[in-house]
Amino acid sequence: MMQRKSMLSYLNKPSRSAYFFVAPSILLLLVFNITPLLASFGLSVSDASITLNQISFVGLDNFTRAFSDARFLNSLRVTLVFSLLEVPLQAFGAMVIGALMVKNNLWNKALRAVFFLPVICSATVIGIMWRMILHSNVGIITYAFSLLGFGKINFMNSAQTTIFVVSFLSIWRSFGISAIIYVTAAQQVSPSLYEAAELDGAGAVRQFFHVTVPSIRSTFWFVLMTRFAGSLQIFDIIYVTTGGGPNFTTESTVTYVYSRAFSSGGDMGYASAMSMVLFVFIMLVTILMYRRMIREG
Amino acid sequence: MSRLNKRSIWGALPIQLLLTVLALLVLIPLVWLFLSAFKPEKEIISWPPTFLNRTFTWANFDTVHKRIDISRYVLNSVIYAFGTTAMAVVINSLAGYAYARMKFVGKNALFLLTLATMMVPFQVIMVPSFLVVFKLGMYNTYWGLMIPRVAVAASIFMMRAAFSVIPVELEDAARIDGLNELGIFSRIMVPQVKSTLVCMVVLSINGSWNDLLWPMLVATDTSMRTLANGLALFVGQYTIQYGAAFAGALISILPMFLLYLFGQRYFVEGMVGSGLKA
Repeated sequence: MMQRKSMLSYLNKPSRSAYFFVAPSILLLLVFNITPLLASFGLSVSDASITLNQISFVGLDNFTRAFSDARFLNSLRVTLVFSLLEVPLQAFGAMVIGALMVKNNLWNKALRAVFFLPVICSATVIGIMWRMILHSNVGIITYAFSLLGFGKINFMNSAQTTIFVVSFLSIWRSFGISAIIYVTAAQQVSPSLYEAAELDGAGAVRQFFHVTVPSIRSTFWFVLMTRFAGSLQIFDIIYVTTGGGPNFTTESTVTYVYSRAFSSGGDMGYASAMSMVLFVFIMLVTILMYRRMIREG
Repeated sequence: MSRLNKRSIWGALPIQLLLTVLALLVLIPLVWLFLSAFKPEKEIISWPPTFLNRTFTWANFDTVHKRIDISRYVLNSVIYAFGTTAMAVVINSLAGYAYARMKFVGKNALFLLTLATMMVPFQVIMVPSFLVVFKLGMYNTYWGLMIPRVAVAASIFMMRAAFSVIPVELEDAARIDGLNELGIFSRIMVPQVKSTLVCMVVLSINGSWNDLLWPMLVATDTSMRTLANGLALFVGQYTIQYGAAFAGALISILPMFLLYLFGQRYFVEGMVGSGLKA
């Protein structure tokens, strides 16, 4: 009893109990974040099976193999095309949409609630829904396009158009969040700036370009940075809509890594090496845009 | 003045039209999914397709029950979402509190370590993350599904920001009253950050409920699958029954829709705030 009491009072010093506050999170992060990160460096220079029962050091072989693997290079290209379609359109489009619903009236609040709605859908749900809506034989949008004289478009299974469809679905899912991030930023712009612009005779369009845009520039870079980093990791939307097809035209790098590691082969070393290459690209993009964001505000 | 109003009304019309069209682009697919879950298979695969039901049926819900163990998937999703969230709330807010308000040796180093994990996207370390769970013997267990997702640097960061703005007088008063550190935390501090906590709970439940990739890696057994990966594997099969898939999708959306209906504010605050307060 005595001992317990003295231990409690020992622990009750703020400086000591702090370790008990942070210990669980540090322990979990060490085991499930830091260890995997360090392990990926090791794995990327190894030949390893899915159970790690066989593992051997192979130097940089996995990396040289990756850069002569046409499917890997294709996956990098697909990831880049996807990002260049998805990110700028979303970052600019959401800015305009956000600027159009800055005022906190009932109608704007309803619009924001609707735009945000895809957040509650899993990628699986989005896949089930849109695959059928865009189905080449019975899709309701396919039907609408055929009424307009386009014939039956094969949205989900065409080497030319499917990458656009996948990018569209990714935008559909997240533009609401981006738009509301802009709304929040635009609401912090001082109203006196708008009043001054109005006195100068600036209309809504000029106010947007001369007051709103300059004030939310750092938000723009923030959206661009987070969306870009996210789109370089694109996996789930592709997995549930096309699985990477047709003929690998929508196979992103993470999709390819997944299939190398988990659905065929269990080639953990090679999969890790490809992940490392992607990681370098993600870090580069993030650092460049982060520096820009800081400079803007 | 009246001239100005007239101009802004005419200017506003195309803008509102554009926003309405976009809103419909979000809403119509969801309404279509809801209606289609109650259409017979024959109507679903008819040409021209229908938007409103010609026939109304519950049959798809029977079919999905017969084809896959969907009640098990629901149970697994509930365990994953609520289990992870319960642990995450306790562990991340404890850490956030310590980083915000306590002085201790190594604080900066530990906080930097925590922040560093934010820089590494999960997709990049998914292969070794799977291996860690596998080697710890947690593959295809609830612990393997939940535990690695509990500590989240972004949540710790968010809680730290919330705790750091509480006035120090509150803490001093509690200390004079003889409360210990855990008492100060749970009785004085936690009630001050209720709305941030609710944000974290809502986002964490929604995030794990809809998470696809992690369950695909560590919960592959039929008895361990969640709604997200269970349904994805179901529609991945060649003999797909569309009606059953829609019924499953509806079952997956409904709980999060209710959460959104009551907690929309927290969804928005959490998602926007966690990014912008950085």
